[in-house]
Amino acid sequence: MHIPDGILPASVCIAGYAIAVPVTWYSLRQINRLKDPTEELPKASLLTAAFFIASSINIPVPPSSVHLVLNGLLGCVLGYFAFPAILVGLFFQAIMFGHGGLTTLGVDAVMMGIPALVASHIFQFRHVFRQKLGEKLATNVFAFLAGALGLGLAAVIFFFLVITNIPSGFDAQTERAAVYGLSLAHLPLMLIEGTFTLLLVMFLQRVKPELIERRG
Amino acid sequence: MRFELDEYAYLDSPLHRWEPRFKLIGLLVLIFAFAFIKDLRLVPVVLAIAATLYFLSRMPLSFLISRLRYPGFFLLGVILLLPFFSGETVIWQWGVLTLRQEGVLAMLLVVGRFLAIITTALILMGTTPFLTTVKTMRSLGLPSLIADMTLLTYRYLYDIAANLSTMQQAMRLRGFGRSPQKKYLPFMPDLRELKLLASLAGTLLVRSYEQSERIYKAMRLRGYGSEKFKVHPVYAGPTSSPATLRTWSGFGLVCTLLIATGLVVAEIL
Repeated sequence: MHIPDGILPASVCIAGYAIAVPVTWYSLRQINRLKDPTEELPKASLLTAAFFIASSINIPVPPSSVHLVLNGLLGCVLGYFAFPAILVGLFFQAIMFGHGGLTTLGVDAVMMGIPALVASHIFQFRHVFRQKLGEKLATNVFAFLAGALGLGLAAVIFFFLVITNIPSGFDAQTERAAVYGLSLAHLPLMLIEGTFTLLLVMFLQRVKPELIERRG
Repeated sequence: MRFELDEYAYLDSPLHRWEPRFKLIGLLVLIFAFAFIKDLRLVPVVLAIAATLYFLSRMPLSFLISRLRYPGFFLLGVILLLPFFSGETVIWQWGVLTLRQEGVLAMLLVVGRFLAIITTALILMGTTPFLTTVKTMRSLGLPSLIADMTLLTYRYLYDIAANLSTMQQAMRLRGFGRSPQKKYLPFMPDLRELKLLASLAGTLLVRSYEQSERIYKAMRLRGYGSEKFKVHPVYAGPTSSPATLRTWSGFGLVCTLLIATGLVVAEIL
């Protein structure tokens, strides 16, 4: 789910950077408020690389297979590091594989990074509902929601940007119908992404709970 | 370890000799000028500029073609969809298949812009060693945290990919993904398989996390994070270049800025 070079006009690409820069600044500001930001840097970097590689895992969905975006999970594990991590990951994908592009790096970062930050905050709601639902259930519910909504929001932004900016003669009604239709078509993928995030968070809770707790 | 993009970064060409800071600014401005194009008559111009730059870079054509493999799917999608579904003016019809003029023009514009941008971006990244590019971006104001993250991610990317490959091979040797008698529901992943793949991704994260703790300790021992420790850009900038190189680099920057301005003005007029 990357918007490649050439499809968006320069004004939208520049607007993407104009949004990505303050969001990056805000994320860095929050990171610098941590007790020791330098301690977090290698962890965030290696986890960025691990997420980048993990997103290449094929999930068999008969009769085909899908790749997961994992931006919701990235938000759950990395917190405010998620946005710079996505920026770096997208930069590598653009220059190594031609997924996305340099002109659309800002737009792609906003499209995936802001939902990741939203997912990070959704995951924090588990603390609010811990008493009502119990710790395990609250973590599982909000992990699922973070994963599913992270992808869902990114999909809505993606289809909105692509369909409204293709330089051609779609009328407004067709554009709207296409955005709704394609976003709805992503519902099964949201379920898969949410379930995968939930299963992965359950795994981390068993094996390395500090990975998800350290940003709690 | 040599980055895949560094394969042709050490050739001798005017673009390789171009001072990295000037090259980064010049080519990025040119890339955005290409994205600015909406007039179809300018598409051959931007393609010619990109082709000339690529020729000057002396990188082989096979390198460009290999980089187009993944984005080629996007190109194919645009070529197959836009001309048939976008626009109203029908120029050819065969049964339900209708070729529309607006769609064809939009397709040519998108494909032309895409090829020009991706070629120029490849020249930008392919004619400078990756580490120099990151240090150049750092010297132009990229926050140190993002520069450090980029370098560390780059350093461990291939290690982690190798790690994943080994784990996947181990899973396959234990029979993962080979159950022909099993009935799969269409469009529904098998929950057990999903659980195993989540454990695979989780193991990758845990291993990377544990490795990062060791790396951090090693970095601290070497002084990382202390006040005295300052990361000096390895690339010293134009002052270290010979005067003639600086002059030619400046001339190259002015030329690209003029071309970019010309394209924007032509588009507006």
